[in-house]
Amino acid sequence: MPDFSPTEYAVPLFVVAVLAEMVWAKLRAPHTYEPKDTLVSLAFGLGSTVAGALLGGFALLVFIEAYEYRLIDFGQPWWAVWWAWPLCFVLDDLRYYWVHRAGHRIRWFWASHVNHHSSQHYNLSTALRQSWTGAFTLGFVFALPLVLLGFHPAMIAICYGFNLIYQFWIHTEAIKRMPRWFEAVMNTPSHHRVHHATNPRYLDRNYAGVFIVWDKMFGTFEPERDDEKVRYGIVKQLGSFNLLWAVFHEWIGMVQDIWRAPWKHKLSYLLREPGWSHDGSRETSDMIRRRWQDRTGERGNSVAAENPIAETREAA
Amino acid sequence: MAARANPCAMEVHPQILIFAGSLLAILLLAGLAAALKLGGDHRLADDAAARAAADEVCDGFAAVEVALDGDGNAALLRDADGRIVLLKRHGNRFAGRMLGPDAKAREDGGTLIVASGERLYGEVRLVLADPAPWIDAIERLKAPRNA
Repeated sequence: MPDFSPTEYAVPLFVVAVLAEMVWAKLRAPHTYEPKDTLVSLAFGLGSTVAGALLGGFALLVFIEAYEYRLIDFGQPWWAVWWAWPLCFVLDDLRYYWVHRAGHRIRWFWASHVNHHSSQHYNLSTALRQSWTGAFTLGFVFALPLVLLGFHPAMIAICYGFNLIYQFWIHTEAIKRMPRWFEAVMNTPSHHRVHHATNPRYLDRNYAGVFIVWDKMFGTFEPERDDEKVRYGIVKQLGSFNLLWAVFHEWIGMVQDIWRAPWKHKLSYLLREPGWSHDGSRETSDMIRRRWQDRTGERGNSVAAENPIAETREAA
Repeated sequence: MAARANPCAMEVHPQILIFAGSLLAILLLAGLAAALKLGGDHRLADDAAARAAADEVCDGFAAVEVALDGDGNAALLRDADGRIVLLKRHGNRFAGRMLGPDAKAREDGGTLIVASGERLYGEVRLVLADPAPWIDAIERLKAPRNA
């Protein structure tokens, strides 16, 4: 199996790009950076590589074992089947869309993914703000269909590496809009700003990795508006630059909720959407959006009813 | 002449070298952000700024009373239902909390000190002309509300 990790080779590019964006910020928009926030985001990035190295082995073992039971043998050696690469890249991006959507709609997954969203800034250092605790969710299961279909785990890992590299550059306010044809098909800084926003209109929208077409296809697309300032972060902003708190706060909150909840509601605190509570004392993103819609008369984009993971019933 | 291995040389695992190099790089980048004075010194300039920040904490929060810290580092806002939003400066942004029964407030040498009940959110200090009504209002949050 070739030992190739695209993200490792991209690290110097990341550093140079962050430097360039800092120079842009100094000249045009100093408020887009905050030194302590930058340090926390970059420490997240470094820690996530360590966590991945220490904890990623289990998923790898599962994939290697599952590959033995693949439905289709695309040919040998696996890396020489040229057409499998672009196909794998597109299907892996579809996988990313769904695991990312689950990351926002299932609190267990959100406990990990919230790390990427807890900065109140949106710049290239935010892109490197990656979770340390992804291995504690079942996110890797979303890749199993690809393995069982016949894509080699290393091919999927390499495609995912390029997917992550693509996603790096879209974490910026320096680029307003890309050409129209590009905005129509690809994920862009504009689309992804919406994804990182806490404005009620934008909550839980634009889950795409590389191709924005998935959001359009599954009813979760929301375009960025020029008349509404984007506010970044999470609904309940951290208010602390403590790195360990930033890493584990949602895990701690979730475990406390499970511990305190009546037995029949314990599982819901693990599997239902962030903000759900059995007594209705908190708000989910759907509830926040509905309240905002009732208040302003705005309609926003409603997610298709056939996608139950997106729109859920209000808390009892 | 064949080179001889230095017996004093320690072998360092490449992954540790990569980690150390990465750590140095992130410290340099964060240091550069500070040296360039990125972020600036963002404060709540007036009641309108505090209202806008409170709206981010709770969409549609309509304050009937606003108390702005003298330096613009924090604010307290109360709506017609008696709900109170606490704001504090966090870097060059603001982070707020809707206060609940766990909130505590006390006065210390003319400064109002408010604790939201979340240890990591920290205590917020506000220099106000008259903190006493806010202490009372925060105290009232402890009383059970009628449905």
